[in-house]
Amino acid sequence: MAGALPRRIIKETQRLLADPVPGISANPDESNARYFHVMIAGPDESPFAGGVFKLELFLPEEYPMAAPKVRFMTKIYHPNIDKLGRICLDILKDKWSPALQIRTVLLSIQALLSAPNPEDPLATDVAEQWKTNEAEAIKTAKQWTLAYAQA
Amino acid sequence: MDDEDMSCTSNDDDDYDCCDDDYYNDCDVDATDDVAVTSTHSEEAEFECLNVAQVEKVFVESVKTLMLRLNIGDKVAKLLLVANSWDIEYIVSMYRMNRYDLFRQSHMAAKSDVAYEKPKNGYCSVCAIDGYESLASLQCGHCFCEQCWNCHIESRLSEGVATRIECMESECGVYCPPDFVYEILEKGPLRAKYDRFLFRDLVLSHRELKFCVGKDCQVVIRSNEDKPKRVTCESCHTAFCVKCGVDYHAPTSCDTIKQWLTKCADDSETANYISAHTKDCPQCHSCIEKAGGCNHIQCTRCRYHFCWMCFGDWKTHGSEYYECSRYKENPSVAAEANHVKARRALEKYLHYFERFENHSKSLKMEEQLRDKIRKKIEDKVNEHNGTWIDWQYLHSSVSLLTKCRYTLQYTYPFAYYMQSGPRKQLFEYQQAQLEKEVEELAWAVERADATARGALEAHMHRAEHKRQTLLHDFFF
Repeated sequence: MAGALPRRIIKETQRLLADPVPGISANPDESNARYFHVMIAGPDESPFAGGVFKLELFLPEEYPMAAPKVRFMTKIYHPNIDKLGRICLDILKDKWSPALQIRTVLLSIQALLSAPNPEDPLATDVAEQWKTNEAEAIKTAKQWTLAYAQA
Repeated sequence: MDDEDMSCTSNDDDDYDCCDDDYYNDCDVDATDDVAVTSTHSEEAEFECLNVAQVEKVFVESVKTLMLRLNIGDKVAKLLLVANSWDIEYIVSMYRMNRYDLFRQSHMAAKSDVAYEKPKNGYCSVCAIDGYESLASLQCGHCFCEQCWNCHIESRLSEGVATRIECMESECGVYCPPDFVYEILEKGPLRAKYDRFLFRDLVLSHRELKFCVGKDCQVVIRSNEDKPKRVTCESCHTAFCVKCGVDYHAPTSCDTIKQWLTKCADDSETANYISAHTKDCPQCHSCIEKAGGCNHIQCTRCRYHFCWMCFGDWKTHGSEYYECSRYKENPSVAAEANHVKARRALEKYLHYFERFENHSKSLKMEEQLRDKIRKKIEDKVNEHNGTWIDWQYLHSSVSLLTKCRYTLQYTYPFAYYMQSGPRKQLFEYQQAQLEKEVEELAWAVERADATARGALEAHMHRAEHKRQTLLHDFFF
């Protein structure tokens, strides 16, 4: 089981490379085809615009029955992403479905950057700031993008 | 008093007010008046103990009833029942209002939702392989290969999910019905596991069924009681609350007792430690633990120097160092130091917790008393001093003592969460009355030899009467 790579993963990888999603790149690691190096460009009109965020994505043995494990490697000021880079996103947890793909997961993360959701926070201090003083929060997010997310 | 008669009348079912009057006006209850205390309300829930076959029968009957009422198939009926707590009336009314909404809420596919094109060339999007001869789908029409379904079901079963295994399509939400799961699993080893979880889920989904909480007990309790009354399993004799499954807790409600038990589990050790080892700074009221022997304490927060013993400013300890060893009437400084909100809250909690715990300990000790009484009765009968039946009242006195003390124990969590006001005053008054009667009864039972039967029975009667009054006003 361990050695052979399921056809599903091979096909997904091929498509990610041949037909990449705008603003997102995902490349499998040379030594481990289940480990992907991901880059997501901060969406325009968001406080993260102009930044390039590095993520790691790992497909566990049970994939696609279990969700991929995704984490931000670049520091980011966002209410749903904590300081370890862990992401609060329903499809990575209880809303995972085997019909979802790496592509859809990364698109959802990109959408999360455009629309932070402080009502369902992971980083509580950031979420608090986002709710009480959004202008200040956006300013901080822009500063962090400039400081940490430059390619 | 004459209103006593009222509570003894045969039609006391509808005479609730009269009973009430009786409890407030009557402080001199006649010991022979048993009817007044056997109130119209029972603390025991009506229930039956079922084995697996009987439970299956309950399911089958409900399915049949619903099939006839709505003219639907057995599989649809069962799914609707599982998703709606087996509440037939609710299902029927919802079905007549809008059956598609009901289906959707019940995680079933409504016909109007099925607008899904079959994949071409037998392609399964989960394993990304095409050329399958047949694909399997639920009513929603999302097709995947059987192998992927098998992996999916296995993965969900490993998480303990049985009735709520969803369709693999994202945001579809339709649950796999048992016959579909059986088809996929066939006769493999997973089938037994699924059966086990399925039975558990079915029982849990039924509003009248509950697993006995006794260790390794297989019995299922059926009861349609809506009050948190007591059930006692006929097989393992475990007694518990029919609603929430923890130890019976009248007059406290299920929510309150849960809150209380969690609080006790979280806080009691910490609270005890804080109470025993710390004091509050007289200036800034932060909690201070004394780590060394020296009584000259400097608060690390506000830098105030004070004496651990008298809470006085340390400066005054210069020349008259041992001033604080002298006993002074009303040491107001020490008293003031306790006027801190946190400390108050802790004291309040400890007040109730200590009493709750103390009664629990007393209950354990009175178990030994029960053994003693049993032996005493045996000895008396062996000495030809009366018959076994003659001494039964001793036995009942211990049982009653246990019963009263048990209720008394559970009045404390109730009081802890009660809002101040006239109702709490009334409650605490009745609680104090019960407390007094229980202790008097305990005293009399422990000295049963020296107490005349009549006097002991009078104690028993009064204690039970107070207990019933309290339950009547605050539980039933």
